[in-house]
Amino acid sequence: MTSRPELRHQYDIISSFQPALHVPQNWNYETPDPLFRAYMHPPHDVGGQRDVPVHYEEKEEEQWELNTYVTCEVLGWRGIWTAEERRRRADNDLGYTLYLGVPYYGRWIWSAARMLVDKKHISLTELLEKIAEVKSRYEKK
Amino acid sequence: MKKNKTLKTSDTPARFKVGDRVQVRDMPNIFYSRTQNYVRGVTGTIAACTYKDLIPEDEAFDHDGRREQYYIVRFRQKDLWEEYPFDNDTLQTEFPDHWLEPVRN
Repeated sequence: MTSRPELRHQYDIISSFQPALHVPQNWNYETPDPLFRAYMHPPHDVGGQRDVPVHYEEKEEEQWELNTYVTCEVLGWRGIWTAEERRRRADNDLGYTLYLGVPYYGRWIWSAARMLVDKKHISLTELLEKIAEVKSRYEKK
Repeated sequence: MKKNKTLKTSDTPARFKVGDRVQVRDMPNIFYSRTQNYVRGVTGTIAACTYKDLIPEDEAFDHDGRREQYYIVRFRQKDLWEEYPFDNDTLQTEFPDHWLEPVRN
């Protein structure tokens, strides 16, 4: 159960994702370049952008990452999606906050779950109930 | 792809009545919900039984799920926000049946 201080902390993290200034936008027919083009830019197209040096770490995949990879591949073999759809969902549709905020395979599993709901293989309610059930099973252990 | 174009909804029976104490379930926040984060896990009182309708999480994805009873639940503001200054103030919001759990008085 989320305590009130935990809830406050959660809302503080969410605030840190948001731009400090929320300026209401009023756009007319004349395309408001370069703002519009910047917002439409796909997050995975990072070439040419300024960045700090990337810290390189030699590291094995976590078990959940391997499971995610296999799950996504099997969904491909079964014809549920293609690698290109997975890339479109995981690299493009997520938006910058999730793209930059979750681990690489977090983007994969997010997009696999979203795809299964979008295509009606599972309902969102079924997914949420299953997650809640598994979570409570682990909490009892 | 399964397309449920014919409306095959099943109604689940209402579990609560006005005056019942209920706790909002702490379900994961993934993809879509109309259940506010700040009421999850908090206990309130059924203020009204409103209508039966589809569940937002399913209807939002064009999935013809079951229809559930909706309720207006009344919370004490102090139960939602510890620092809230007035004892008697309340907040009301609405939930479908499966978001609520019975609380023994």
